[in-house]
Amino acid sequence: MLDVRDLSVSYGTIRAVRGISFSVGKGELVSLLGANGAGKSSTIKCIAGALKASGGSITLEGKDITAASPEQVIRAGLATVPETRDVFPDLTVAENLMLGAYIHRRDQAGNRDNLERLHTLFPRLAERSAQAAGTLSGGEQQMLVIARALMARPSVLLLDEPSLGLAPAIVERIFEMIETLKTSGLTILLVEQNVNQALAVADRAYVMRLGAIVASGTAEEIRSTSDLSSHYLGG
Amino acid sequence: MKHSYLTALILIAVIAIIAVGSHVLGIRLYDRIATNLLISLVLVVGLQTFMGNSGLLSFAHIGFMGFGAYTSAVLTIPAQMKGMALPDLYEFMKVVEISPLLAMLAAGVVAALVAAFVAYPLMRLSDAAAVITSFALLVVLYTIMNNWSALTNGPRTLFGLPKTTDMPIAAIVAGVVVVGAPLFKESRTGKLLRASREDEVAAAALGANIPQLRWRAFILAAFIAGVGGALWGHFITSFAPKAFYLKETFLIITMLVIGGANTVTGAVAGTILITFAYEGLRGTEGALNAGATGAGQVVGLTEIVLALAMIAVMIVKPGGLFPNREIGHILTRTRRRKETSA
Amino acid sequence: MAFAIQFVIDVLSLGGAYALMALGLVIIYGILRLVNFAYGELIMVAGYTMYLTSGSGLPWLLMAALAVVMAIVFGILTDYVAFRPVRAKSVTAVLITSFAFSNLLQNAALLFISPRPRNVPLPDIFSQTVSIGGAITPVRNLITIAASIVLLAAVAFLMRKTTLGIAMRAAATNFTMARMLGVPANLIITSAFALSGFLAGVVGLLWIGRIGTVVPGVGLEPLLVAFIATVIGGMRSLPGAVVGGFLLALIDTTLNYTLSQDLLKFRDAFTFSLVILILLWRPEGLIKGPASGQRT
Repeated sequence: MLDVRDLSVSYGTIRAVRGISFSVGKGELVSLLGANGAGKSSTIKCIAGALKASGGSITLEGKDITAASPEQVIRAGLATVPETRDVFPDLTVAENLMLGAYIHRRDQAGNRDNLERLHTLFPRLAERSAQAAGTLSGGEQQMLVIARALMARPSVLLLDEPSLGLAPAIVERIFEMIETLKTSGLTILLVEQNVNQALAVADRAYVMRLGAIVASGTAEEIRSTSDLSSHYLGG
Repeated sequence: MKHSYLTALILIAVIAIIAVGSHVLGIRLYDRIATNLLISLVLVVGLQTFMGNSGLLSFAHIGFMGFGAYTSAVLTIPAQMKGMALPDLYEFMKVVEISPLLAMLAAGVVAALVAAFVAYPLMRLSDAAAVITSFALLVVLYTIMNNWSALTNGPRTLFGLPKTTDMPIAAIVAGVVVVGAPLFKESRTGKLLRASREDEVAAAALGANIPQLRWRAFILAAFIAGVGGALWGHFITSFAPKAFYLKETFLIITMLVIGGANTVTGAVAGTILITFAYEGLRGTEGALNAGATGAGQVVGLTEIVLALAMIAVMIVKPGGLFPNREIGHILTRTRRRKETSA
Repeated sequence: MAFAIQFVIDVLSLGGAYALMALGLVIIYGILRLVNFAYGELIMVAGYTMYLTSGSGLPWLLMAALAVVMAIVFGILTDYVAFRPVRAKSVTAVLITSFAFSNLLQNAALLFISPRPRNVPLPDIFSQTVSIGGAITPVRNLITIAASIVLLAAVAFLMRKTTLGIAMRAAATNFTMARMLGVPANLIITSAFALSGFLAGVVGLLWIGRIGTVVPGVGLEPLLVAFIATVIGGMRSLPGAVVGGFLLALIDTTLNYTLSQDLLKFRDAFTFSLVILILLWRPEGLIKGPASGQRT
């Protein structure tokens, strides 16, 4: 489904991502783990089209999206939820969701159905439909940006650190919801620092350190064999 | 900070070359151009001390030049002439007549005081708001000059200033400014101000009170502008408020931006380059007009060419000719690199 | 009583014009963080279009429509000449290119048309006067009030109820995120310039309608008004720009009525002083703009 080959991303002379390769199969939930500065977010931003790759290729369902702009990436079927949780604070929840469906704006009926479904999945958002998105709590905002991404009817969903800054109870709920999305057949690439939660839902995982992939395998393998603390804390 | 001394030295040398060179050539026209260039240097480098360090564009600079020019005029026009030149002048001012040197300093002080008073609240504005408010300030300064007939003769031309600015004096003032600017740049205020451009929060943590720092730089720039205005006034001996408005603002901004707003070297280089370009274009315009009749007159061609040049430079080299490093720095680096590679 | 009505009509008509001027500027600044110095020249373009078409025999409304279209065209042209080539560079670079472009347009008008004022055809009803409650006022003022109400309502509707407007508001807060949802960046920008040009064109006609002639520098005063209204209203807030415009009109009209004859020529200096006081009290403007989208 999503194939990343030899991807490199540089900020000037600093090489944040050094030639990594991984893939996400259809219906899989693959997790990208690693400490801060490992290059996970740069990888996600590059796939999303917000950052230019300095080398390598990204293929989505056979289509090359390496040099695609953000507008083209989402039209290709890949939706991204960035770690900065960018809601549009002065727009209402409903307006945020409406924008999520921008690329399907001609299909009003389809959007309405979609919205219904998302309201069932995220009842909190239905309640706060007319509220300004900036007034929502962190957990609600996270739900909003995921719902917004889903309004685009993506075939692949990129989630960048959804648990960041959220209370454990909320994180539980977010991951329950991610699990639900997975069972519905959505292909997901999940970047996370919260290793336990991530491995609980993932099929496979890769561990990044200093811009390179240092371990890969099924969630079980990574959980049991790999020395994660050394990857996170160095040494 | 050795390279800032080297920069000052080189720039003084440039001024000396201009002054001496023009003197040696002995042609009146060149003398006029050179003196104008030196006066422009004072103004552009003055603008650089604010713009280069704070990162904010100020459109009001020429307005302060005007205030300086009029201050010096009122203080130096001979008492006998005052009756004719400024018929509505206040009684107590009619007898005042001081030396042009003192008047020049007074001009700087007046400009600085006005700047201090008006600008403090402006320095707390966001960057874009500060810039567009400075534009409004230019218009207000112009309105005051244009209407305060008692002191300025209103929109009419003011005559009678003694012609005390000659090339040596212009060169000396330019030299002083060209030494002062890099010194200010490397002073505590200058450094903190430039640091605040990169990261406001970090600079504040170092104790930088950004509005205050900007305010100081603005006052310094206004002082230099006032002095420059007095200098120019005593060179041209008669002027009107419209000499201190949009056209001149556009010119000095062009000079500064094409040369490089962040460096004193850039300010000097830009002034020299644009002065020559301007004289050349004006000459061409004149030649074209001499041949053509009324309908074929080309007015504004110079400005159009300069505007296109500005846009082109912004596209290709947005930092100007000398975007970051002063000439002293560039030369020391080159020499050091030669030494290490040898 | 008549005096009060006169005052109110003056403030409302001037305020409406000022609000439209400010709005056109804020739309560009809000979305792109760019100060468009060439904004005043869009009004100049509208005026010169009217002058150049005045001999053609077309009905006035058609000439006016053409003038507005030209303002839109030049608005979009400003994007291509002054903004797109330097957008990626510093914010100052963009300011300077728009300043240079403004100069270019003014001098082009100077060179190719004339430095002298040129008459602009105006419909008769502009100068007809009407009596309301004892106050006599030109119909033009009432047209200005009506036009500003209609346009402000239309812009509000566009921004709140249409997908394009919501996309523009989203782009104003977070351009990259809007793009990641598929909102085409270039469309947003062109729409912003087109809308700005449209507002400039309409307010240009109303403004020049007061003067009757057009000169290359006709855009300076509206530009200043837009600048000041935006700064006191709050740089990135559309309602703020409108409030700023009306407030400025209130200040200007009050000064017009109260200043003595010889102080009247200094009116702008007084206005500016009051503006400075407002800014001392509220440096970020009266109405807060969209938040920068920080994470809670």
